[in-house]
Amino acid sequence: MIDRGVSVIVGSRDAQLRPSVMRAVGSRVGPADGEITVYLSRPQSRRVLQDIAANGHLAVVFSEPSTHRSVQLKAGAASLRSAGADDQPRLASYLASMEREIQLVGFAPELTRAMLACRLEDVVAVSFRPELAFDQTPGPRAGAALGGAA
Amino acid sequence: MTAPALGDIRACFEGAIPAVVATCDAAGTPNVAYISQVYYVDERHVALSFQFFNKTRQNILANPHATVLLLHPLTARFYRLRIRYLRTETGGALFEGMKAQLAGIASHTGMEGVFRLLGSDVYEVEEVEEVEAVAGHALPAPPARAVTLGAVRRISERLVRCTALDEALAAVLSGLGELLGVRHAMVMMLDAATQRLYTVASAGYATSGVGSEIAVGAGLIGVAARERSPVRIGYMTSAYLYSHAQRSSLQAQVPDVERLTDIPYPGLAEPHSQLAVPIASARRLLGVLFVESPDELRFGFEDEDALVAIAGHLGAAIELMQAVEEAAEAPAATGRPPAARGAPLLVRHFPSNDSVFVNDRYLIKGVAGAILHKLLRDHLGQGRTEFSNRELRLDASLRLPDISDNLEARLLLLQRRLAEHGPDLRIEKTGRGRFRLALQRPVQLVSVGSAE
Repeated sequence: MIDRGVSVIVGSRDAQLRPSVMRAVGSRVGPADGEITVYLSRPQSRRVLQDIAANGHLAVVFSEPSTHRSVQLKAGAASLRSAGADDQPRLASYLASMEREIQLVGFAPELTRAMLACRLEDVVAVSFRPELAFDQTPGPRAGAALGGAA
Repeated sequence: MTAPALGDIRACFEGAIPAVVATCDAAGTPNVAYISQVYYVDERHVALSFQFFNKTRQNILANPHATVLLLHPLTARFYRLRIRYLRTETGGALFEGMKAQLAGIASHTGMEGVFRLLGSDVYEVEEVEEVEAVAGHALPAPPARAVTLGAVRRISERLVRCTALDEALAAVLSGLGELLGVRHAMVMMLDAATQRLYTVASAGYATSGVGSEIAVGAGLIGVAARERSPVRIGYMTSAYLYSHAQRSSLQAQVPDVERLTDIPYPGLAEPHSQLAVPIASARRLLGVLFVESPDELRFGFEDEDALVAIAGHLGAAIELMQAVEEAAEAPAATGRPPAARGAPLLVRHFPSNDSVFVNDRYLIKGVAGAILHKLLRDHLGQGRTEFSNRELRLDASLRLPDISDNLEARLLLLQRRLAEHGPDLRIEKTGRGRFRLALQRPVQLVSVGSAE
């Protein structure tokens, strides 16, 4: 699900425990083993990026719009770097996947393209090793811890 | 860049695209969750649906700060709300409004039976942030619907020209159709004594449904009446279908006589959008204005604004007409009506519930039934055909619920039911607060099981 390209939302918090949040513009498994990378557009995600840079805490929800199947990963440490030309194909395939996903729930690709619009030079790659994983599919089981790593 | 007001981004609160809420526990671990509903309460408050005892719930009880990410469904602009948890409501207008909207969202997203509103979590909005758009990628904003205010104005102008209830109801229903494109609408009035609403006028249905009843509290219309608050749904949900509610109530052991006197509810079998707005005046509930559509998300905040304004005008007009009618009533005029000829109509009256059957067909019950019985009794006993609202109001045998009861609405209901029944027995207005009983055939009046 993470590599295929579904909805990705990234959250963090500041020193006063005030939460910050933004939608990612891409995701991938890797680059290192057991690592996950999500991409955020800097002008739209300043607080989240500041918070992650300051304390490393982040929560990321991956969700398939058509089935509501969702998983949440959490970590207390992350590394940030500016995205480069190597990341461009990932962002493009993510966008293509999301256009399909969101069309399944009745929204035109134009909406998805506008929603995920970003300039490569503004994109920040956030990599982390998940420490906790939770089933987040809506319902009474939402929030239940998953057995192994996702 | 100035921050937008909550009112500027109400389209984000329609539930078309799920919002996201970020919270943080006391230990500093953030949490992100999809949320079915971010509900506009007022310019400084929103309410989030509380459906499960999940991590979001635990977090806001420990740390009231939360941040909501909203997406405008048309422009694809993001907005962030920094909010602070205040309280949870588990009943009342806000809760019921959210419950109805959630039922629609749940059904639309295949989550019927999973989504159930446990409470409305009310938050203070501390900051509204319009997230920077990437140049050249924002979708055009939809044109402002200035037409709505113009429509309200024109309906208001039509209303102030009306001098009788039937004219006012026609002005509203035709105005909604012509100026706001609303194809299906009805007006129900409150019977305060029985806490039921009865249809007095409708537009766009196969049958008028005049006289059909809904209990206060039942379905969308009943909830709007009980809570005295607009209730709006953008997707079809069986939770608020009257066919469903009626089946349930029939199962609940309703005597046969009740079924005989049921006038079918006229509404759409499969409405996808519904909006019910209470009609009130001087803090008193008078009825409900209801519109519906087979299309999804047909009624937005602007439509709700328009309908609340129109219902306000209508409520004031109804009250004013009643006051004028009281003042203007004069003694009934006398005149020789044409003699009735032909086979007599058999009119049976059941005093237990004031139901009236004409030639074995159910006509009406309750106050309107009692009025018809009185008119026929006076006609047969005294030869009268001219009557006044005032004498009805003073007639103790009618058991009018109270002085403020809308007698005009009862008479309109009776007049319309008679007109739908046939030409032989009618009532006609002859002036303000006066009317005539018009008979084309003689009447035989029978009281069944009478205690008189």
